[in-house]
Amino acid sequence: MSCVCILAPVVVAAWPAFSAAVVAAATSLGYQVVSEANTSHTTAVRMDSGRVNLDIANSELVTGQLGRDQRISVTRNGVTVTFSREARGKAALCVTGTGQSDEELRRQGEELSGCVVQHYVYQRLMEEMHRKGFTVVEEEADANRAIRIKVRTWD
Amino acid sequence: MAQREFDITIGPDGNVELHVKGFKGRSCLEAMKLFEQLVGELRSQRETSEFYEPEELVRYNIDQRH
Repeated sequence: MSCVCILAPVVVAAWPAFSAAVVAAATSLGYQVVSEANTSHTTAVRMDSGRVNLDIANSELVTGQLGRDQRISVTRNGVTVTFSREARGKAALCVTGTGQSDEELRRQGEELSGCVVQHYVYQRLMEEMHRKGFTVVEEEADANRAIRIKVRTWD
Repeated sequence: MAQREFDITIGPDGNVELHVKGFKGRSCLEAMKLFEQLVGELRSQRETSEFYEPEELVRYNIDQRH
């Protein structure tokens, strides 16, 4: 007997788990990590740069007082994306770049943030599958960047 | 031993499609709960035709002789 469901992700993570997902996602899309800091600072932005601010829906970055200003920046082809925790705990990203429209910056930001959520969900599922002793029998990424996993267990 | 299987597709935006196979009756829905707790909000759910197949029934015949 079987059933099918669709689940919308909720990201509730401490900064180390979230930043690990950012690094994995950014690397898979060809970005390079340019800075990771736990101090508050303002990133210098050229006057002719475009800038788009986005957030990740259904996200909450759990952090202690010391990690309040943590952020991580990644870059690709002149576009820099900085992830941080906004005041209310949501994951936020700021996309900047020269010579690109706001729509293009938004598209790139949404592509990367979606990929971050995908990697977060992947890490969370795989940890739990291994913890429960389930066997991953197949794993592949298709042309649309979807990750397909087949897991078996016996009882 | 009964084999259980989960086909998981994580989309590029993080949405998850889960196909749970090999569970009997409502235990299938309970298995989904695990993933709901791990991933997030349940957006939609449907039972496949297999869900409505009768469960295996094992009968024991006992002859009592005195």
